[in-house]
Amino acid sequence: MTDRPDVVLVGIDLGTSRSSISASNGQRHVVDSYVGWPLDMVARKVLKRPVLIGREALDNRTMLDLHRPLEAGLIKEGSDKDEAAVRELLRHLLGLAGVDPAARNGARVRAVVGVPAEALRVNKQHVRKALHGAVDNLLIVSEPFAVAYGLEALLHSMIIDIGAGTTDLCVMNGRLPAEDDQRTLTVAGDWIDEQLFRLLRERHAQARFSIHMVRAWKEEASFVGDTKTPVVVTVPVEGKPTQIDITAEMRQACEGILPPLVESMLDLLSRVEPEFQERVRGNVVLSGGTGLIRGLGPRLEKALAEVGGGKVRVVKDPVFVGSDGGLAIAQDAPDTDWEKLGT
Amino acid sequence: MPLGPPSLSTRLKRRLIRDLVRENLELIHGLPPRARRRRWPLQDALRLLAVLLLPVALYGSSQLLAGGASTSPSAWPPEVHAAVPFSPPAAALAARTAAAHLPAPTPIDPAVFPLAVRRVAIDPGHGGASLGTRAPEGPVEKALTLDIARRLERLLAAEGFEPVLTRRGDREVPLRERALLANRAGADLFVSIHLNWIEDRGARGVETYYAGTSSDPAVNELAAAENRDSGYSMADLKPLLERIYTDVRQEESRRFAAQLQGALVRSLAAANPALQDRGVKAAPFIVLITTEMPSVLAEVSCLSNSEEARLLARPEYRQAIAEALSTGVRSYAAGVATASVQKGI
Repeated sequence: MTDRPDVVLVGIDLGTSRSSISASNGQRHVVDSYVGWPLDMVARKVLKRPVLIGREALDNRTMLDLHRPLEAGLIKEGSDKDEAAVRELLRHLLGLAGVDPAARNGARVRAVVGVPAEALRVNKQHVRKALHGAVDNLLIVSEPFAVAYGLEALLHSMIIDIGAGTTDLCVMNGRLPAEDDQRTLTVAGDWIDEQLFRLLRERHAQARFSIHMVRAWKEEASFVGDTKTPVVVTVPVEGKPTQIDITAEMRQACEGILPPLVESMLDLLSRVEPEFQERVRGNVVLSGGTGLIRGLGPRLEKALAEVGGGKVRVVKDPVFVGSDGGLAIAQDAPDTDWEKLGT
Repeated sequence: MPLGPPSLSTRLKRRLIRDLVRENLELIHGLPPRARRRRWPLQDALRLLAVLLLPVALYGSSQLLAGGASTSPSAWPPEVHAAVPFSPPAAALAARTAAAHLPAPTPIDPAVFPLAVRRVAIDPGHGGASLGTRAPEGPVEKALTLDIARRLERLLAAEGFEPVLTRRGDREVPLRERALLANRAGADLFVSIHLNWIEDRGARGVETYYAGTSSDPAVNELAAAENRDSGYSMADLKPLLERIYTDVRQEESRRFAAQLQGALVRSLAAANPALQDRGVKAAPFIVLITTEMPSVLAEVSCLSNSEEARLLARPEYRQAIAEALSTGVRSYAAGVATASVQKGI
């Protein structure tokens, strides 16, 4: 573990929807994972910047060549623009934390970056390439491992990290997760958005809305099971602001993730050594932005009840749990190891 | 204050970080990842077979390099006998020359391994936003493949197999996820069901693919269409393709494809007399490359042909396709079992 003043440690959770950074200098920031370049001279003159990132990019999307450079938690391939967007996003996060190359006054930056559990080696190489020159040393970890490390849930636990692009499930049994200890599903927040968008288009054909509006409604009011509060939104119908009740569609879209999620959870549990299964069932951690869907924890507990019962804990701060875990790893890694991990 | 021994948690964290650093260094230096996963019986056996072929080949070569003293002289061409008394470098040179005249070592028959086919992954092509092909006024590929898959599931379950579907409803499942699902389910066989579209509307019939390369532009075009949005990059694909050639799995897949194609042609001929046997072919379909068991992709009819599109709209024809696929699976499984019995295993 290092406490050298000339070294800044950072943990980064590179997410499809949002990316966060936690730094040893006390800085914590989150941005929407959007990067946009002005479309033309006029846009550049209006926006006064060569590149916009995060919410600002989303809000000005009509004037931008907008990129969401991560898909299913991975850097998209085949597009220089997407690679450049990831580079901009990572450097923006470092800048927010005050550790970009221009601002760090000679301090060394050591970063731990979380990627989806089943990221291919080539995807990890892309992350390494994107951070070349921006940090001095880099350690890439699987995102659920970073979450488990931050929560000190390293033994006999299961992490279910539901983000926008992927749902990562990982059993922690005191060693680095092997392939058989983890699953990545592409049924996650974005999938719910698409289902909800499709259902609303079918049932409210006259209403006008975008996928971004649908995503915002989901983040505000997602649920599974019963709800006492109807979900009502205001949308233009033939130009006139109109309230529509989307409770049924919201429930249907959100509950769509339950079958693959429950199946994967129970399948992973069945592969745990029999004497430890009960302990793992009693220590299921639900994290990630989409993990906050109301009623999801109890629904998973209901599924666990059929195999002997269990307890699902919902992480209170899903936005930073991954980057905080990365920072904890960075702090615990010895200097001698860090020196080997140049970019 | 004296420091006590580190706690269990601290020791655990130290070990995990050490492993993590080692894993990252392997990535930086381009070393292959350490195997950290369980395998399944059939996959194990096929890999074992591949591993065993190498020593057999090496053994054959070493026998030649050693002079072939223990081999029956009548089995070798005269050049080998002349090579025996030579000094080492010359002997080695002569042995290499002799090796060029000899047949390759006989491969091990897969039947020496008692491989039971138990779990069968059924992959209904397309789904969700991926419609597949569609007849001008008729059914869509994604719905037909799911219907046939479900019929096949019932038939296989009734015969004591354990079918596993890669999708149960109208949802889009990425190709990579389909393969992962089959791998993780520990499937012994993988059958992907698709319907063909051929520019020549008169063309009809069935064809079955196993993983391999093809020089036929039409086949490559079909593979490219089916591989779209697979989530794999070219950088990922190359090692995957290389892997299948070091595997006995390719030969097993070809045998399985032949069984399936034969069953389809025989069974469907009654209902579809003009059906063409379009053959067993190799093509680089992602789902066939990334699955770890004998895998085939069957184009069970042509939606571009109006007569076959009309037949596909009839449940009894779809049932006939499912029954033919089931027969193909059963034949392949029985062939493996029979060969095992004949070898007295």
